[in-house]
Amino acid sequence: MRWLIRRVIKKGKGSVSYEEDVHFGDVLTIGRGSDQAIFIPDLRVALDHAKVTALGNGQYKIESLILAGIRVNNDITYATTVGPGAIVEIGTTRIQLLEPPVDHDAGVEVSTIDKAELKALKDAKALPTSLAQTWLSKRRPSWIVFTLVALLFVGLPLAAHFTPTFRKVLHDIPGVPSQDQWQAGDLAPAHHYFGSECTTCHQVPFRWVKDEACAKCHAGTPAHADPVKFNLPQLGDARCAHCHRDHNGPNGLVIQDQVLCADCHHDLKARTKNASALVDVGDFAAQHPEFQIDLPAWDANGNFKPVRTLLSQPGIKEASGLKYPHDVHLDPKGIKSPNGNRILTCDSCHKPEPGGARIMPVDYETMCQECHRLDFDVLEPGRQVPHGKIAEILYMLDEFYSKRALEGGYMDLQAPIVVQQRRRPGQAMSREETIEAQTWAREKSRKVGDALFNGRACTVCHTVTAGTGGADTWRIAPVRVQGEWFSKAHFTHAKHKSEMTCESCHPATASKAATDLLMPGIENCRQCHGGENDAGKVPSTCISCHGYHESDKLLLQVAAPALAPPPSAAPPSATAPAPAATPTATPASQP
Amino acid sequence: MHQSFLTHANKRYLWVGLILLLGALIAYFWHDPIGPPNGGTWLGYTLGSIGALLIFWLMAFGIRKRTYSNRVGSLRGWLSAHVYLGTALLLVALLHTGFQFGWNLHTLAFTLMTLVIFSGFFGVFAYLRYPNLMTRNRDNATRAAMLDEIYELDQNALALADGIDPKIHAIVLRSIERTRLGGGVWSLVAARDDSDSALAGARKMLEARDKKGGQPLTGEPQTKDMPTMFAMVDFLAGKADDRQAEALRKLIDILSRKKSLATRVARDIQFQSLMELWLYFHVPLSFALLAALTGHILVVFFYW
Repeated sequence: MRWLIRRVIKKGKGSVSYEEDVHFGDVLTIGRGSDQAIFIPDLRVALDHAKVTALGNGQYKIESLILAGIRVNNDITYATTVGPGAIVEIGTTRIQLLEPPVDHDAGVEVSTIDKAELKALKDAKALPTSLAQTWLSKRRPSWIVFTLVALLFVGLPLAAHFTPTFRKVLHDIPGVPSQDQWQAGDLAPAHHYFGSECTTCHQVPFRWVKDEACAKCHAGTPAHADPVKFNLPQLGDARCAHCHRDHNGPNGLVIQDQVLCADCHHDLKARTKNASALVDVGDFAAQHPEFQIDLPAWDANGNFKPVRTLLSQPGIKEASGLKYPHDVHLDPKGIKSPNGNRILTCDSCHKPEPGGARIMPVDYETMCQECHRLDFDVLEPGRQVPHGKIAEILYMLDEFYSKRALEGGYMDLQAPIVVQQRRRPGQAMSREETIEAQTWAREKSRKVGDALFNGRACTVCHTVTAGTGGADTWRIAPVRVQGEWFSKAHFTHAKHKSEMTCESCHPATASKAATDLLMPGIENCRQCHGGENDAGKVPSTCISCHGYHESDKLLLQVAAPALAPPPSAAPPSATAPAPAATPTATPASQP
Repeated sequence: MHQSFLTHANKRYLWVGLILLLGALIAYFWHDPIGPPNGGTWLGYTLGSIGALLIFWLMAFGIRKRTYSNRVGSLRGWLSAHVYLGTALLLVALLHTGFQFGWNLHTLAFTLMTLVIFSGFFGVFAYLRYPNLMTRNRDNATRAAMLDEIYELDQNALALADGIDPKIHAIVLRSIERTRLGGGVWSLVAARDDSDSALAGARKMLEARDKKGGQPLTGEPQTKDMPTMFAMVDFLAGKADDRQAEALRKLIDILSRKKSLATRVARDIQFQSLMELWLYFHVPLSFALLAALTGHILVVFFYW
């Protein structure tokens, strides 16, 4: 087999000359040994480095004879079969396999790799030695994550804001950021049902939530204050959302903090130049005045006009209009009744309302009448007069005794004979007899009435005075047993039904007279209730008991104009706009 | 004397950071907002504004770093402030949240900020630790000098091996081919140099041969990861004469020297990579934060 070995000799300035040689044999050996067909004097080459076998058809088999292998077409290999054009590199020598030249069976071209190329090769093969040379990068990931976050968390929800259909689609795909990702915190539970519709409240981008948005649902909600009394725009920000801030969790919407009240209800005397009659309030445990109650009272015309009375006022008496010793009735051994011994407890007479907040009025017929009967005639002990109806009682007595007088047979020895005499049916009375009987009946009815009203029945419990005559026969002092005592606070009996008894607050068993006031004062509450930050007691803020400037007749019906007209221009009206109140420093007639 | 960025200007920025931190804390505990503490109170807006401005300024450090003509303070001063104020930012932002977190954009911004700051903490740690280790590891040489020396040693080893036996020459050649410094991210960080790790064992076996008076060794344990040295020692144990053994000993010394150099270069690369690695998280995360923060501010006022 005939090999052509062509050596390329570089001679400066880019000129090249060739030196051709012929080698006979199947195998072309390459190495540093002097017996090699291609002799390469380079220490990086082994003595017998490799051999190339011509397979015919222009194919060559290259085999490495050393462990290090040989670099063919830039890959280290031990044995490979290649076609013409393949390049073998050993040290600084490059051997290119050729298409068999004319008159030869195989051919190679041997050249030296020059320094510049060698360096370029070395640099190309060099492995990265710092992170900057690896695939790691800062710029590209920065752009990627910036764009991702901007698109997913700003772009998508923003698109959802302006296209309701997209909003719905987005909201229904789990795991994809929607407008929910913009919510700064949990909504109040009552607002959850429209929670994903941000525009329900946030109607215009970059604008505060307006009262109109609130009033869309809250038209029937009681307003906080009468804008006539409190000129809110003058006092500060009067928007609903100024105080009612949502996205603050389940309890964030209604502010519980006592500072909401305390920041205005302090130094009121000085700040209002004595115009305010209110006492300063701060912390329930440390700075809260004694309670005031609505003490029952009546004006000259008999209208019920309770008087606000400080519980700390000495010698305070209750005017319930009744005579009632609690101690007698609550005797633990019981009291005698027509039906035997009866042990009475508080709830024998004081039944809670179905809602549990207050106590129902005492009912004479079901609670008192069993013992305190209204019978009036010994001969007919079963008959009783109705309770509480003066004219009816007197009329009933007249009728009762007229009938007895006219029918006769009324076995009262002090009555005239004509009344005692039993008459046969159809037997007529003489004119004198009739007059006598009617006179007796009138007299008897008056006496029995006197006895009932002035003697044994009514006066047991009531204060009775004689009237001026005519239709004004008797006067019973007005009675008020159950009612609202703390009209400026909320109190629910049912919430306090734990190990507490009625006696815990109302010392009734020791009370000998109905004039004893049995309403508890603030010290009683402070046994369990502390201030806002009390750790050992029930932490209680202002609105634990009080409403915030609650109005009982104003509703939020019409959304308040952001700036209400001044008080003089706003006529008081039940439907007057009533924006949410802010704490006020003006004299308030009601706390 | 060298001054660290941590002690720059008598720790001026440490004090600035501490004052900011303390001020934020005092304000937070003094402030009694209506409702729970949150980003929407006046203090919340204040802390949020401070935090946002800080973030924008901290990110401007990336620009300042490569603006060599900038004369507004030294780069070390900027880095010092970057580190201390960045640390203070963690608390400023935490108080801004009022500890209200949720699955939303706002908490995403906070989380990204926290990740950026903590990756920065690793950066501070790296800048304090690795330059020292690198100096000690290089032992007054530079990496280029070490690489040059490795190249020289390779040439010497080849010349020496050639004088012993073609087989040994081939083995050394392979060893040179196999020595790889650098590579992928993992190779850089894990300090893999792929140079022969069997030198200690080989030397031991050579010593054993000397003790036995030149008799072939048998029954020594062989492990797979020492092929070069095994081949040598096989050769040594079998047919080497004393001249060859002497040359082989020299060769082993050269290769040991090369091995230790290669290890040092690999460690040098490792230290440098570790020192730089955190930045590949710190920078992209800070840009994610920039997007989230911009979104956060936009949304807060969009749904005011």
